[in-house]
Amino acid sequence: MRLPHARSRWFGASTVLAATIIAALLIGVPAPGKASPTVTAVPVQSSGGVAYAVTWNGADVSTDSSASSALSIDLTQSANLLYNWTVSSGAAAVTIKDARLQMFYLGFAVSTRDQVLSNPTPGSGSIPLSWTPVSVAYLLEGVYRLTASFIASNGTTMWSENFYVRGTAPLGILAILPIVLLIIVIYEVYMLVRSGRYAMLGRKAPEPSAPASGAPPAQPPSGEVTGPSPDSSEPSGESTPPTGGGS
Amino acid sequence: MSAASHGAGCGVVLGIVLPVLFQQIGYIDLSDLGPTLEYLVVGGVVGGILGALIGWALGRGYLAKHAADEATASK
Repeated sequence: MRLPHARSRWFGASTVLAATIIAALLIGVPAPGKASPTVTAVPVQSSGGVAYAVTWNGADVSTDSSASSALSIDLTQSANLLYNWTVSSGAAAVTIKDARLQMFYLGFAVSTRDQVLSNPTPGSGSIPLSWTPVSVAYLLEGVYRLTASFIASNGTTMWSENFYVRGTAPLGILAILPIVLLIIVIYEVYMLVRSGRYAMLGRKAPEPSAPASGAPPAQPPSGEVTGPSPDSSEPSGESTPPTGGGS
Repeated sequence: MSAASHGAGCGVVLGIVLPVLFQQIGYIDLSDLGPTLEYLVVGGVVGGILGALIGWALGRGYLAKHAADEATASK
């Protein structure tokens, strides 16, 4: 027979082991090592005779078009983006007024950064945009989709591109949301392991209602008894042990 | 509340929380709402079923062990 405190020690050891594994996963996120690459040739994408390109600290973001090839960034460091557009000869000139960067989470833009030109002119140009996501650095981490957009002076989106970044929190783990989620997971795993005790609770509760020897049963209203006799060994369905999943 | 229903409750919560935690770790992408809802719904259903099975099995084991302990103690 195992001692009760030996079992609780086993539960504690399991919880500590699970917490260690998940914390190791949190800290040990593999970094692709492309946080600040130096890219000289930036491929551009053309739309209606206008070539658009966006660089993130010199790296072309079109190479990070999927979550598996996400750009690894530190959310506490500022990023310098450069929005370039080049109008080909013979193509209609465009007037870009706004360079926009949006970060999406659960389908909603959790961060938006705009760089608006005060005096936009038709033709080619570039807009530098500096973004420091400190507001979300201590709240979130993980893989996110970002959208870089070129907005014309009339408000229409001339061109946009989606790319992915893998943001790391300060010290790799110091973000609120993953810590809260980790605590919830550990607590729920612990409660799941202990859920077997609820079977005993459901079974033991009806036992005190067993008829005591010598005590007369409650008197039913006279003349209205049509069910089983009061001295039946199965008084009611309420006192029977549960036959559901807990048994 | 039976052991199975308690386990199912824990499993549903785990099935919903784990995809969000995996996104924070960097294994899955939850930038779009549609795939996110799919992850959460599937995770909740699968977690609930698995949690119910685990709770049911743990409840049976707990009852069997207690019955053996009581039989040993009564001798």
